[in-house]
Amino acid sequence: MLRRSLIVVFTIMLISCGNDKSEIEENNQVLTLYTHRHYDTDKEIFKAFEEKSGIKINVVKANADELIQKMESEGDQSPADLLLTVDAGRLVRAKSKNLLQAANSDIISSIVPAHLRDQDNFWFGLTKRARVIVYDKNKIDPSELSTYEDLTNDKWKNKLLIRSSGNIYNQSLMASIIANNGEEVAKDWAAGIVNNFARTPKGNDRDQVKSILAGEGELAIINTYYLGKLINSLDPIEVEAGKAVVVFFPNQEDRGTHINISGIGVAKFAPNKENAIKFIEYLISKEVQEKFASANYEYPVNAEASSSELLNSWGTFKEDKLNLSKLGELNKKAVILFDEVKWQ
Amino acid sequence: MRFDLKHFKRDLNQWSLYTVAISLFIAIPVFTIIFHLFNGKGEMWDHIVTYFLLDYVLNSIALLFGTGIICFSLGTASAWIVTKYDFPYRKLIEWLLFMPLAIPSYIVAYSYVGLLGNGGTFIRFLNMFGIPIKKIEMMNIYGLIAVLSFSLFPYVYAGTRAMFKSYPNSIRESAYLLGASEIRYFFSVALPLASPAIIGGLFLVFMEVLNDYGAAKYYGINTFTTGIFRTWTALEDIQSSIYLSALLVVLALFILAIVKWFRGKKSYALKFNNEDKTKRYNLVGYKKIYLIVVFIPILAGFVFPVFQLLIWAVQTFEVIFNYALFSIVIQSVLVALFTALIIVLIALLLIYFSRWSILKTPRFFPKIATLGYVIPGAIIGIGIIRSSNSIIVFFDTYLDLKVGYLFYGSSVVLIYAYIFRFLAVGYNSIEANTLKLGKHLEQTSYLLGIDKFVTFVKIDLPLLRNSIISAFVLVFIDTLKELPLTLILKPYDLNTLAVKAYEYAEDERVAEASIPALLLISTIVILITLINYKKSKTN
Repeated sequence: MLRRSLIVVFTIMLISCGNDKSEIEENNQVLTLYTHRHYDTDKEIFKAFEEKSGIKINVVKANADELIQKMESEGDQSPADLLLTVDAGRLVRAKSKNLLQAANSDIISSIVPAHLRDQDNFWFGLTKRARVIVYDKNKIDPSELSTYEDLTNDKWKNKLLIRSSGNIYNQSLMASIIANNGEEVAKDWAAGIVNNFARTPKGNDRDQVKSILAGEGELAIINTYYLGKLINSLDPIEVEAGKAVVVFFPNQEDRGTHINISGIGVAKFAPNKENAIKFIEYLISKEVQEKFASANYEYPVNAEASSSELLNSWGTFKEDKLNLSKLGELNKKAVILFDEVKWQ
Repeated sequence: MRFDLKHFKRDLNQWSLYTVAISLFIAIPVFTIIFHLFNGKGEMWDHIVTYFLLDYVLNSIALLFGTGIICFSLGTASAWIVTKYDFPYRKLIEWLLFMPLAIPSYIVAYSYVGLLGNGGTFIRFLNMFGIPIKKIEMMNIYGLIAVLSFSLFPYVYAGTRAMFKSYPNSIRESAYLLGASEIRYFFSVALPLASPAIIGGLFLVFMEVLNDYGAAKYYGINTFTTGIFRTWTALEDIQSSIYLSALLVVLALFILAIVKWFRGKKSYALKFNNEDKTKRYNLVGYKKIYLIVVFIPILAGFVFPVFQLLIWAVQTFEVIFNYALFSIVIQSVLVALFTALIIVLIALLLIYFSRWSILKTPRFFPKIATLGYVIPGAIIGIGIIRSSNSIIVFFDTYLDLKVGYLFYGSSVVLIYAYIFRFLAVGYNSIEANTLKLGKHLEQTSYLLGIDKFVTFVKIDLPLLRNSIISAFVLVFIDTLKELPLTLILKPYDLNTLAVKAYEYAEDERVAEASIPALLLISTIVILITLINYKKSKTN
């Protein structure tokens, strides 16, 4: 029995190896995408590209950190052509680890604004998300709200909800505050926020909004993208929570609201660089950008693309034009400061 | 572990060599981690020690104690009731007690927030009856202990039940004749005799607890594993995260040493019967309240979470459900079956090679090979990618062979990683039973001039059949649920249910994750049912 099972095992192994080889040889036109985005919308967009161009897209989905580690470990053997992340910081990190290369394309440069891309064209923003304040419309008068900095005011004591400091969007927000106000002010800011916590940070962005509905706090800092998902959720409780709050864009009188991007860069050892650039151009085209906005509630980077009805209903806003490279450079500093003020 | 130079020559036989070779090959990622330790501490290490280390240690210890006590109580008590008493639907209940294993712990964690959190299903139910409660807070360390215990106690239940079942009636009768009460019999005879199985089960529970990432992260509890990820991703210091992993391995070794010590203290060679012929008593009168003991774990570990998942599934059915999901079911099952098969084979090889060798040292090596169970999947992933990259470069430079596709395009590396990760599951459950077999049967066989291999196939294999099947099932379930390794090592065209569920949950779309999660659960439920059915038929 043992011997027979061994034979079976090895046969299966051989078969599985054989299959993979032939498949690689068949497809000449391929593109390998390492992505942190797990959205069904993306799948449709990729499929449309495959049909249009005849280029097959291999997708590896994992967390950006794991993907970066994977690219690093694979070295020049890496099959990756593109790295797609949900924040600028990871792209900056990939660039600094020498895992990306410049992609010079007039089309891309003309569409993606300068502050949303790397100065050497190593990566580009595809969509934007704003980190905003949402508040309980029954308890808070919006004229009381102004800036991120104002949230450390004593009047918000025990009222503020925000997730843990392990989250990348909080880290990026902190990085933007360091970049704008300096390290010391930023540390005091974080300490002030901790001081105003309605509860120890837990759960995700959606849970913060649900907590407002339950009366555990009165305002929260969350990502617009998640609010869009909440309002359009299939779970009636989530919809109720999403509708119970109102969006407030902070810092409109000064630098603007903090934004982050979902962005993409061409891998240093990309076997299919040309296809990769073609694909980026496709992703920032008006039609695809509108799809991101309507189906995934992300703000387009292409100025010609109209954003969706829901996004428009929150109003237009002035965004912080800080170059997003800064977010990556200051990310680690941000985490260290978070730890020092004991932001869970 | 004792090493006598005097006996070196005697002990140096082929079986020792095989054991050592296989163990070392499987343990490569452990060595990668140890090797990295010599690179010195990472730059953020002092920061971690100042702000987090105490937190990690205390929380992990609290979790181990809490889940240990609850899993021990739930697991042994329920195993006792179903083996000692007879009551309506007993068979169904015995089977339902395994079911919590079918749900990944992080899904259980999410579903409890769905039930008891703000606007949760159960909360609204209470509100309907005029109980003005907002929520029951689950997202703290007590909630995490509860959730992990509910989903992990079957590890204790499984082994203990098999043990209780195998007690010959004579033990119990002797105890009663000597005037022992039922309670005294349970605590002084039944439990101590089952200790290898209980300890083996608890060991698996502890490893799962140490390795949990999703549930702890969602509930906002800092543990070693969340710390390893945080250090790696947020503090950008992989060196320190390897330090933390090494500490985790030390903690695991410590637990392993305790397990060995417990097992080493006593050894029993009873004539156990492997078939379910134990006389059962009917549950009558006030004793019916014993049933609470079996209902609580079933409800908490299976019925409630599945109920919440079903509610979500109904909400999301139209958007999420499509027939392509079934191809994912098939892929997941194939990979898991294949992995389980190989792991059982390797576990048997290791156990028997080291039994056949006289040297004490080789017996230590399989333990190293089973350490993968405690190392966070993502760290194993890194270790494996690094090692396989060296192999690819080696083949490319020296032999001019392009073997990269073997690593990136096929499941070979993924399955190796699964073996490293889950060998402990298969190994421990089979080993506990080989200890029980004693050596007299095989020694008799050797005396009759039958060689080792034939003895193994004809005597040990049939006797171990049930434990091999349960090892197979446990590995299958674990592989099907596995996430981090699958994410980073899987080939492009392979998709698993766990990955699919995670993709939604990661994006805070927990309700949408319910359909893949339910498919995962049903797959496991169907498999366990099939195996139970087959078992009862052949018995």
